[in-house]
Amino acid sequence: MTAGATLRVDPELKATAPDRHLRGVTQWRWTEVLGPLVLLVTATYACASVSPGMTFMVEGALALLVMVLALQIFIGNSGVLSFGHGSFALLGGFTTGLLTMPSLIKVNALDGLASVLQHAHANMVTGIVAGVVVASVVACVVGAFLMRLHGLAAGIATFAVLMVTDNVFFNSRTLGPGPQVMPQIPRFPTLEGSLALAAVSIVIAYGAGVCRAGRLLRASREDYLAAQALGVSVWRLRLLFFVLSGAMAGLAGAMYAHHSAAISARDYYLQFTFLTLGMLIIGGAGSVWGAVVGCAVVTGLSQVLLHLEQGLQIGNLIFTIPDGVSGMVIAGTLVVVLLWRSTGLTKGREFRLPRIGR
Amino acid sequence: MMQVIIDALSNGGLYGLAALGVGLVFGVMRLINFAHGELITCAAYLLVVCLPWGLLPAILISLAAGTVLALLLELGVFSRLRGADPAVLLIASFGVSVLLQRAYEAIFSAFPRSGQAAAWLSEVWDVGGSQISRGSVVTVVLTLALLGGMKLAIEHTPAGLQLRAASSDFKTAQLLGVRSSRVIAAAFAASGLLAAVVGFIVFTQRGQVDPQFGVNITILALVGTVIGGLGSLMGAAVGGMAVGATISVLSNALGNDRIYTYSVLFLLVIVVLLVKPSGIFGQATLKERV
Amino acid sequence: MHSNSLLTVRGLTAGYSGLAVVFDADLIVEPGEMVGIVGPNGAGKSTLLGAIGGAVKATGGEVRFRDTNVLGMKPESIVRRGLALVPEGRHIFTDLTVAENLQLGLTARRDRSSRAQAMAAMADLFPVLKTHADHKAGHLSGGQQQQLAIARALVAEPDVIMLDEPSLGLAPTVVRDVFGVMAEIRARGTAIVVVEQRAHLVIGTATRTHVLREGRIRDTLTPAEENDEARLAHAYFGTELSTP
Repeated sequence: MTAGATLRVDPELKATAPDRHLRGVTQWRWTEVLGPLVLLVTATYACASVSPGMTFMVEGALALLVMVLALQIFIGNSGVLSFGHGSFALLGGFTTGLLTMPSLIKVNALDGLASVLQHAHANMVTGIVAGVVVASVVACVVGAFLMRLHGLAAGIATFAVLMVTDNVFFNSRTLGPGPQVMPQIPRFPTLEGSLALAAVSIVIAYGAGVCRAGRLLRASREDYLAAQALGVSVWRLRLLFFVLSGAMAGLAGAMYAHHSAAISARDYYLQFTFLTLGMLIIGGAGSVWGAVVGCAVVTGLSQVLLHLEQGLQIGNLIFTIPDGVSGMVIAGTLVVVLLWRSTGLTKGREFRLPRIGR
Repeated sequence: MMQVIIDALSNGGLYGLAALGVGLVFGVMRLINFAHGELITCAAYLLVVCLPWGLLPAILISLAAGTVLALLLELGVFSRLRGADPAVLLIASFGVSVLLQRAYEAIFSAFPRSGQAAAWLSEVWDVGGSQISRGSVVTVVLTLALLGGMKLAIEHTPAGLQLRAASSDFKTAQLLGVRSSRVIAAAFAASGLLAAVVGFIVFTQRGQVDPQFGVNITILALVGTVIGGLGSLMGAAVGGMAVGATISVLSNALGNDRIYTYSVLFLLVIVVLLVKPSGIFGQATLKERV
Repeated sequence: MHSNSLLTVRGLTAGYSGLAVVFDADLIVEPGEMVGIVGPNGAGKSTLLGAIGGAVKATGGEVRFRDTNVLGMKPESIVRRGLALVPEGRHIFTDLTVAENLQLGLTARRDRSSRAQAMAAMADLFPVLKTHADHKAGHLSGGQQQQLAIARALVAEPDVIMLDEPSLGLAPTVVRDVFGVMAEIRARGTAIVVVEQRAHLVIGTATRTHVLREGRIRDTLTPAEENDEARLAHAYFGTELSTP
């Protein structure tokens, strides 16, 4: 029996309303979508209005947010931890990078490239779409094998995927820049481009959780055998969500490429994986709101710390902290949050308007 | 050829020790300890720092450091996360790992620190015409001896029995009177000690320490633990040995393509997991009964 | 209420993650007694046993074992005092041998000296365990595993042993054997608290049987009242047995 599963009405107990605190949503509620969207838009413009440097920072954060949402789609709904999504982000970023970078530079800087990659060229939109498609296809193939696994075996298998991808792309000059950087990738012309993509991703992630497939998948997370007994093909559901999340990871990777203008394989490796996973877990893997909150909190905290390291001036006083402390504080915060609330800051629940009265 | 075999054995033994250290903690807490690498690094740093006082004191201090740090991690962080979701435990251990790496950067700087632990290990022996590196031989002997010793301790002592029971089914072990905190603390202490030994060996091979010293070997040790079978202590050791030996053999076999060693290795890992998800020696009964 | 009983439970409330499952339970166990706990599915029987043994978190009440309040203590401390719990589902260590499983039982033993005798006594009581001593416990049949689970708890010589559904999943002949062993244990002076789905196995032989429904003890029956179906039905379902 899972806690919170059934509540019987016993005359000797107070009758309680149906439990609205079931993890995740069961039906589309507009407030739950608008909450994260409003936070997204206000936070983005608030930061962007400060300075061009902050605008740049926000653009990067939006790419990370899309990645965290991708992770939430899979991990939040299936309950299976995946470390391999960085591979899909890499594929998305490299695809769009190779397609959109100026041909002249490609010929000179990346001379080992396979000819089909050498000659292909496209605009940014096509590049991003291509990135998403490539990531989805690979996710489909990988997932076909891996979705049979559960728990830690699945975690390590996906980790192995990340390792293979990094090893291949870090070393291969036929598929990409190898250990070097892929330079001169065109940047997003406006902030609104990234913002729109992030907003759409929020809606998609929410929809994935709320739709029937999402609910079925979550049922399988709670009780695998019972779900199977109901005729649910867990493998198929997991694969579906793996591919969807892989596609979104590809999008995130592409967004990062068009933000950073120069990428390499290591940009999508361990640090990226654990940063985004950490954001998700801190915020709460069970909900889209958790993904957004986690990303916002970690980004906000690291920005504050970075400014403190550079020296923050308030009035006549300058506050500063030693270099390197920011890294420790962020990692320390991660640990503290986990100790305090292991389901994340949002406890895995979606956004809810505060109740007045009651 | 002889050197290839010795290399495989020595690498295997080394990774086996590392994996056993990880497996000990995983067994009692279901915690995949990413911070294990930082235990290795800590021991290596203390070894370098204390070398001026003599090799033996430096070794002893570094062994103690590994053990103490492991216990501190358990007391300070992991004991408060009992019964948490495995995902949370994993991310927490990664957070601790990053935290410690930054701490080492702050204390010792990001630049590597060099030192010579035992110069005679770098030399070679002449065996029937071919030259064998002393370091490799010593590593093989040391690691296999330690693994053998741990196997004896785990399988033939009452304390080892309690540890095995706690790793298999923690709650039932408690119901039989096994003192949970002590068993967990013992597992951490042992894992810290093993980490320190690994740190010593790797340091003699590399000659320098940096904040990321223990990261790579820990990743591979973790993989070895899962391959060998979660919940089985000696399985972890065997898994680690398999990973270490495979890397060694692959590196030699792939020749110019040896940069792709990891790719081949991890593809093999995926295959093993698909065929036997619970690991080679894993208990298939780790899933709940209906 | 006797305050000097071997085991006294008063007003025990317990549950999981903030949801109470057992409310206000009272029961007493004297040396050599067998106390039964029966009731419909989901009544909270396992939770009650678990709360007494320290495996389940209790939120209120008192559990006095040999004049010490053990509520809130860790399970390993409680069993080391002489109050053992054999949980539902056997839970033997499948990869360890039968002998190793038994040896683990010795961990909680208070009398450190006569361990060899204790093991020998178990071999008497459960001859099948002696035959399979060096086999992996996972290879035993269900009934044999149940015997191993009980033997493992007994080898520590507890004053009270609590058994949660010992007949679960066992064939009728095996169940007879297990209950025979229980009678033998009781004759040797160990008190037993047994939770059972099949009430008929217990009511006729236990000193006293409590009926738990929806977390509360509704009634207590003695062997003399074994055949009082109306009373049993009322306790189980909260209604009278009605004939149409």
